Amino acid sequence: MTHTLHRQGSVEDLHEDYVLLIRTSRFVNHEGSEKTMQQIWEVISHYEQDLVNFGNHNPNWDGGELYDMEALKKAKSRIIHVVFRDRERIKACLKEIKERDFGISTVVSGLCGETEKICSEIGLHPHTVNYSLGVHGRTERLPKGETLEIHTMCGHAMVSYHLIDHMVKEIRRGKMTCKAAARKLSRMCDCGIFNTYRAEKLLMKMTAGRPEEISIGGDDA
Amino acid sequence: MLIDKEKCIGCEECHPYCPVGAIAAVEWEGRAVSEIDQVECVECGCCYKRSGVCPVDAIYMPKLEWPRSIREPFSNPHIKHPSTTGQGRGTEEMKTNDVTGRFPFGMAGVAVEMGRPGVGTSFRDLQTVAMAIARLGVEFEPNNPVAELMADPKTGKLHEQVLNEKVLSAILEFKIKTEKLREVLVAIKDVSAKIDTVFSLDLISRVYPDGTTPALAIAKDAGFTPRPNTKTNVGLGRPLFKEA
Repeated sequence: MTHTLHRQGSVEDLHEDYVLLIRTSRFVNHEGSEKTMQQIWEVISHYEQDLVNFGNHNPNWDGGELYDMEALKKAKSRIIHVVFRDRERIKACLKEIKERDFGISTVVSGLCGETEKICSEIGLHPHTVNYSLGVHGRTERLPKGETLEIHTMCGHAMVSYHLIDHMVKEIRRGKMTCKAAARKLSRMCDCGIFNTYRAEKLLMKMTAGRPEEISIGGDDA
Repeated sequence: MLIDKEKCIGCEECHPYCPVGAIAAVEWEGRAVSEIDQVECVECGCCYKRSGVCPVDAIYMPKLEWPRSIREPFSNPHIKHPSTTGQGRGTEEMKTNDVTGRFPFGMAGVAVEMGRPGVGTSFRDLQTVAMAIARLGVEFEPNNPVAELMADPKTGKLHEQVLNEKVLSAILEFKIKTEKLREVLVAIKDVSAKIDTVFSLDLISRVYPDGTTPALAIAKDAGFTPRPNTKTNVGLGRPLFKEA
């Protein structure tokens, strides 16, 4: 699955959207990896203040668990997802993971040029790249602009276009803040790859200039 | 998914959670309730436990019989595919290529992610694309859950019973020699005009020692414009696969 590859948005916006994905191979090194994955979570916890989102695709049906780092450090993780908004912080985290030499496959989803530079700056050589060659077919069926950008932050399509539009209406009616709406959308994506920070900014843009708008960073209802 | 009309209070809170817009208000025994269009519903579970949105627990999952039962694992990332025992739509693809060596030098990986982003797909549309690609001698990835639905992998023809089933996404995955890549990409571009949905297209390439990925130039030459964001396996997996 390629749930982190096709994130839409301008280059400027994508400068605040990096996903670190770490996973074992079920055919090669999954057996006996439980403790190693917990050690990787321990390293990631050093950057907790820098993280926009994180998770391990644990089917607990409870988005609230996604934000519990202590639980993840003790969990059985086959896969680790972490979202950063700052390239310097993902670089620092990746450098530490490299130095600890855990031996688990690590993938960076983000701007190609920046990823190459990050790798070069910490002495890594990219092994394999997956390119997005765009969306084809009946593209007129897609929503436009920010709705599509928010939707593609969950590559499994759990954040419905209709739900995004609904949140925009709720914000415009003054029933919810952009921050609260972004959190509510994020709950649908329990891989933990939804960039809640970017979604909040996009929701602000979508509702800017509306008299009912509540500013960013308000209540967390 | 189904809604128990006896329990439903007609609040419509569940409507926006449906990725394919399959929930609507209907008149039932003199009052408004919500109903899920069973043709359109892809069994993703967004209106059910994932959101927990129904205040009266009126939404429920009935036992799904074949072929409808294939909708759930192709739409809900929590559900494992019976054939592969894996979650999600595809395989480990390039995420673990440093340890599996699945995509070596000289080969390109291609994935046609039918229904993405967010539109959904029928298996009839998937078959249309699969048959167009199969004509060029492509061999589809046997560990992808689409493989078990193929009546004839050499032609890309699916079992007749599944053609009208709708899912959020399904992925056609394969690898080919880079010299055949251009021809395949052109065929994919041509067939995109013959389907009723969308697909996202992926191209996987090993990074050569000089930092280049020849497959990318081929894709550009075939008329594709790569997006600025990529997925990069940075080669930290062990044991590192040794190429001959």
